[in-house]
Amino acid sequence: MGQINNKLAANAIVWLLLLTAPFWMHWVGGYTELGSRVLVMALAAMALNFLLGFTGVLSFGHAAYFGLGAYGAAMTIKYLVPSTPLAILVGVLVGTAAAAIIGTLIVKLRGVYFAMVTIAFGQVFYFITFRWNTVTGGDDGLTNWTRVPIDLGFTKLDILHNPELFYYFILFFFALSVALMTILLRSPFGRTLLAIRENERRARFLGIPVERHIWLSFTISCFFVSIAGALYALLNNFVDPRALYWGLSGNFVIMAVLGGMRSFWGPLVGAVIFVVLQDYVSSMTQNWESFIGLLFVLIVLFFPRGVLGIVRRKVAS
Amino acid sequence: MSLLQVDNISRDFGSLVAVSGVSMAVEPGELRAVIGPNGAGKTTFFNLISGLLPPTSGRIVFDGKDITNLLPARRVWRGIARTFQVTEIFPELTVRENLRIPVEGAAGYRLRPWLSREVAQEMAARVSGLMDMGGLREKADRLVGELPHGDQRATEIMMSLALKPRLLLLDEPTAGMGDQETYDITRLIRRLHREQKLTIVLIEHDMRVVFHLADRIMVLAEGAVLAEGTPDEIARNEGVQAAYLGKAA
Amino acid sequence: MTQLILFNVFNGLIIGAFYALMALGLSLILNLSGVINFAHGGFLAIGGYLAYVLIPFVGFWGALLIAPFLTAFIGLVVERVLIRRLYGRDQLYSLLLTFGLAYIFEDGTRFIWGAQSVPYQVPDWLMQPLSVEYFFLTGYRVFMVILVGVAVAGLFLILNRTRLGMRIRAGTLDLETVSVLGVNVRILRTLNFGLGIYLAGLAGVLAAGMLGLSPTIGNSLIMPSFVAIIVGGLGSLPGTLLGGLLIGVASGLTTMFFPSASEAVIYIMMGIVLLVRPRGLLGEEGRF
Repeated sequence: MGQINNKLAANAIVWLLLLTAPFWMHWVGGYTELGSRVLVMALAAMALNFLLGFTGVLSFGHAAYFGLGAYGAAMTIKYLVPSTPLAILVGVLVGTAAAAIIGTLIVKLRGVYFAMVTIAFGQVFYFITFRWNTVTGGDDGLTNWTRVPIDLGFTKLDILHNPELFYYFILFFFALSVALMTILLRSPFGRTLLAIRENERRARFLGIPVERHIWLSFTISCFFVSIAGALYALLNNFVDPRALYWGLSGNFVIMAVLGGMRSFWGPLVGAVIFVVLQDYVSSMTQNWESFIGLLFVLIVLFFPRGVLGIVRRKVAS
Repeated sequence: MSLLQVDNISRDFGSLVAVSGVSMAVEPGELRAVIGPNGAGKTTFFNLISGLLPPTSGRIVFDGKDITNLLPARRVWRGIARTFQVTEIFPELTVRENLRIPVEGAAGYRLRPWLSREVAQEMAARVSGLMDMGGLREKADRLVGELPHGDQRATEIMMSLALKPRLLLLDEPTAGMGDQETYDITRLIRRLHREQKLTIVLIEHDMRVVFHLADRIMVLAEGAVLAEGTPDEIARNEGVQAAYLGKAA
Repeated sequence: MTQLILFNVFNGLIIGAFYALMALGLSLILNLSGVINFAHGGFLAIGGYLAYVLIPFVGFWGALLIAPFLTAFIGLVVERVLIRRLYGRDQLYSLLLTFGLAYIFEDGTRFIWGAQSVPYQVPDWLMQPLSVEYFFLTGYRVFMVILVGVAVAGLFLILNRTRLGMRIRAGTLDLETVSVLGVNVRILRTLNFGLGIYLAGLAGVLAAGMLGLSPTIGNSLIMPSFVAIIVGGLGSLPGTLLGGLLIGVASGLTTMFFPSASEAVIYIMMGIVLLVRPRGLLGEEGRF
């Protein structure tokens, strides 16, 4: 019983902090956009962890679907209709569809090979956005568009000029995604994914069609990551090919590991630490990359279980 | 009609012939033991039946249907479950969760994003039943990876049983066990066979277990069938004694 | 027209030779130790910069001789100090570690030598075209293809004829048996890692004279090297060589007909190969 109460308390604290963030962020030196960025990156890392932590599949190419979500949303607003919800919808559709197609090609691979192929495939989309300048803006990115305020009929949500409101807009999608992930992970389907993570051979000989379930998990995971990508484009009112570069995929993975990839909230914790550090360090020095590289090395050598992994061990012992 | 019919099946790995022209017919409700010296091809034979390996030649018919080229998961759906020589379980999940996965799978809920309350209760009841049968009740919420070997084995067998199989393949169920654990597992297998009329094929090294359980015994040596018959016939068979004692000496 | 096609095929062959050299090193390490060395491109850059530093003192030929060995030495140190700790742990961790190293190497070279490419001296006589009609056949390019050929031949000789090479090959197939037979697997892995990094360093010295030496040189070559491994076949070194040359030529030819797709084409090739032969052209059939 104690365990269940702990979980409830942890959930309550997480949601309370997220809901009140715009009110206390500036006291600790933050600002609202930083909070929004944390949420977006946390969603991406949690989406990746659906695959990495809960299916045991090593995907290193999630930036591609994040970026496709971002470009889908940005291009919808710029070229099709000035509608924020529609932009998100298109972004998510593009990202998920691409993942579903790529997924069919890679489900037979495992381990480091899966990682290698996912990261390599991500480069296709990178080069498409990089080279197709007339439409995507190429290396300079897609500019001259902004997210659009939402007209609900009875009231108008000015998410463009009110950063707090936009934070809650992102939080709404974050909460929706998290709820969906929770339901999935607690379902019989979610348990088949755990089974594959724990012992693929056993899963197969319990009648679980492993390839099909990995494909589903990959596609679902990319569905969530493309939501994050679409929100990311809206947050910046801008998107460039770096949103799909493989370095970003590595960042998602390190966020999940840093926070603890076996715990549900781990990637959120990892994203908070990573994004805040990034914000702080890159304002101090040119050598953010060395810093983050060092962070990777230190985490691997000294905190492989992540922050929440360590906390859990301390609580257990 | 035989439940499982293996016709002249062979498998080689390059120049090494692991299984060569083996045939076997298992009747419904039978408990068949497969014995033989190390390297006789017993496990490869199991891998062919369960679909872990494709055969080089030959045919496997289960319940009147050709399953030679089916994927492992599909053979499970047809009713073939197996355990492995080295226990294959979900170490970082609890006993309850280990059993819940095959129970839900067998009920066809593998893709369900949620279950109704009644169905969930029904599933939980089945899991409880399996834990009782395997003597795992007190360990329900322990991680399987932390349990003693005997309990892990019992969990694996109960997981296979959760699939409601019509044929159960057990690869050395008592391997690496002490006397008490061997006794417990033997009793469990005997109950499954006697009370549930389950058809079982098992590979086993412990001859006490084999002669205690088996209806019929098949002896493999160097990939081929050396002898087949009732325990009495096998015990008297001189060729078998030569092969066994010759190797053992 | 023929000339243009030849030009692009030859160009593709050269770039493919670099991919192959990179990919062979990556494959060696991947096959024996199960580590994807994301920092391989970083080692390549280090090879190039070491040569750049050495050339004023020992000349191009001296640098060509020394720089790859120095790079390999750095590789040995990195393996002993960092990567060795991760064998036997979840493969994720070695991936992340080398990923971090890739960041550090790129940023480090930028910090020391600047973000712009540095002037890199190749002997003048090597830069002369060998024929008026086929102007693109400069001595350097031909020399490069020959040298890569020699390096690859040397690698296969080492693997097939020396004790170390045979142990590496045996270890790739069945590490447990090799260790039971009394081979020191730790040292084997270290030496193998060094061998892989030597190839990266060599590629760096050569590539610097061809592509220009800047901190991003390595990381622009690493993704195609992955593709080379996947196309050629997982676990197969001849496959990796084939894959590298194949995607190089494909990319060279695409440059001619549809330049903006010259990068994307190799990934599309990879997709097709995975569709038809999930384990690559010369890859072994998989098992569960």
